[in-house]
Amino acid sequence: MTTTVEGRTAPPRKAPSKRPRWLKLPSFALAIPAWAWLFAFFVAPVALVVWFSFGYKPGIFGTHANDVLSFDRYAEALSPTFFTTFQNTLWVGVVGTLICLAISIPFAYWLAFKAPIARRGILLAMVMIPFWTNFLVRTIGWQIILAPSGILSEALQSIGMLNEPLEILYTRTAVLIGVVYNYLPLMILPMFVAFDRVSLPMREASKDLGAGRWSTFMNVTLPLAKPGIVVGILLVYIPLMGDYITATVLGGAKGNMAGQMVANQFQTAQNWALGSAMAVVLVLTILTTVGIAALVAWLAAWPLRANQRLVLGDKS
Amino acid sequence: MTESAQNTAPAGSAAGGSSAEMTGASEPEGSVVLEGVTKKFGGAIAVDNISLNVRPGEFLSLLGPSGCGKTTTLRMLAGFEEPTSGSIRISGQDVVGIPPHKRNVNTVFQAYALFPHMSVAENVAYGLRQKGTPKSEIRERVTESLDLVQMRSFADRKPTQLSGGQQQRIALARALINRPAVLLLDEPLGALDRQLREEMQIELKLLQSRLGITFIFVTHDQGEALSMSDRIAIMRKGRIEQLDDADSIYDSPASAYVAGFIGQQNFIAGTMTNDLSVMESPFGIINASGPHEDLAAGMDAQAAVRPEAVAVALATGDSTSTAANQIRGEVIGVSHQGETLQFLVSIGNDQTLLSRVPRPNAPRLAVGDSVLCTWDTASVHLFPSDQASQAQADIARAVSNPAPPTSSISL
Repeated sequence: MTTTVEGRTAPPRKAPSKRPRWLKLPSFALAIPAWAWLFAFFVAPVALVVWFSFGYKPGIFGTHANDVLSFDRYAEALSPTFFTTFQNTLWVGVVGTLICLAISIPFAYWLAFKAPIARRGILLAMVMIPFWTNFLVRTIGWQIILAPSGILSEALQSIGMLNEPLEILYTRTAVLIGVVYNYLPLMILPMFVAFDRVSLPMREASKDLGAGRWSTFMNVTLPLAKPGIVVGILLVYIPLMGDYITATVLGGAKGNMAGQMVANQFQTAQNWALGSAMAVVLVLTILTTVGIAALVAWLAAWPLRANQRLVLGDKS
Repeated sequence: MTESAQNTAPAGSAAGGSSAEMTGASEPEGSVVLEGVTKKFGGAIAVDNISLNVRPGEFLSLLGPSGCGKTTTLRMLAGFEEPTSGSIRISGQDVVGIPPHKRNVNTVFQAYALFPHMSVAENVAYGLRQKGTPKSEIRERVTESLDLVQMRSFADRKPTQLSGGQQQRIALARALINRPAVLLLDEPLGALDRQLREEMQIELKLLQSRLGITFIFVTHDQGEALSMSDRIAIMRKGRIEQLDDADSIYDSPASAYVAGFIGQQNFIAGTMTNDLSVMESPFGIINASGPHEDLAAGMDAQAAVRPEAVAVALATGDSTSTAANQIRGEVIGVSHQGETLQFLVSIGNDQTLLSRVPRPNAPRLAVGDSVLCTWDTASVHLFPSDQASQAQADIARAVSNPAPPTSSISL
């Protein structure tokens, strides 16, 4: 029966195109501008950086040379002096992303499901407004707030929570505060869109079938919003790992990050080979940690999936 | 006791006898009682002081145009909305304030609301899993439930791979697996095409009589309501206009609104005589079986006659008939409706009468023929003119603004 139905509704054969054959382009032609752009400004530079990372700095006035290839720059990049900076970067990246996540999930959920619909536009604009200001200016603003004689320090001292000025500027904590502030909107927006797409009837169906709030969130809302949450995490974690403005302005010597270190090698030390090796290590660190995080998340959801899984396997 | 009171309640008394003295214990499993239920959204009244008594195992339809409060009523039963005032009891238990997941009712949603990230079997199993049912039992009951809707072979597919009708069946299986006392259906057939909808109507009715579960069915489609329901509650502007079985609603509409909303009617305007079952019209005397309670002598009124009650015959001679319920006219249109022929008869003053006659017995009439339209006294209902025009305006508005499509499928 099904076949007859399908046979009846088979689409009509394509009408032959009137255009001459030589005018017809393959459909991937639509993507050529994008590919060209990506190749010229992403693939080629990255390949160049990888190539430089195997070379060395030839002398005090040279930036790079590739006549002798080795892994020596990698060994140098991972030497204890620089390795602590990578550790530091990873710590700020992971903790910063987790803090963003902890703030964004409840906020995006509230915005999508609980906030009055009429006020949503204003609330979203409030999330976006800091984004319209220059990144550097915003970060310098935090320098003023976090300074030992700044507003925060004064306020904490006046209410008696501190007996001496707050020594937080130029530390890892200051960098963490800065990156969370700078990247939070990038997490909230995709997450809000994701939650907003989980339709009300879907959540009502879950409650109707006997699931409470928490169960509905875990079984329906969260799985359906997953793509947006993943986008939010990647959108924050990746640029955060490479960020060097925040670290430069708020981190000082104690809050150094890898991006800053790479910039130093290229601009100050004029050692492109070492800078390139550091950049490659940073990229590999990001890729590996994202992979590990995906695996951990997949394993953590295993019990839930196993509980939900039901295959009848009956093809009768 | 209340049930018998219900049965004999005069049509139009807006449903459900007084049950103030009724206690929870006397209401059996599967009964639904609404008493003076009102729901306001801000200043707007969606449901206006509704009282309704649904018997266990009954198939009850809430029928009305969009915005009449039928969906809000259903959502209050499901627990998605709380009434502003009044009480709701399901199986004798007061459910006001009880969240949806703790009520022994399940809902079939308008756009099905199947979980796209779960297979068909996992969707159906959802309700049992929430109750912590052992896995072996889940497997057994999911199979059983899918068999009930003949969808077992689709168990391991994703809902997005199914057609609308198949998704509909899965939504039904999913809602029935928890063995609810009451099943709520919110325009479940609205998204299906006509033929499939008619098939599903029959299937739904069969399923309901087999399971013996109370079904409360929300629809704006009168054909759907008439074909399946034990009783129909016709709603208008947040109130129940009439609650009765399909026959009574069709044959003895309690108001001009019900008369016009269900099926088709010929409305003829006139003035009431001293005998409140007789109306004088420019076309002659119209006799009705009985007066409407709101009528008085000298009042402007409208008589409603169904097209199928109007018989047409070739007029003989040119004697101007003075008999009641007879109007002379000229055929201005004949249309073939399959099993019936439909005649449009002009009776002067820009007024037409519609007559529908079963085809084998239909007279051979052509456009231009002079005819006599006649009908029985029993088929005439009289309504006050203001009520009738208001009702006709409301119905016209309902027809031009059909229920909006559900928002849940938009992306």
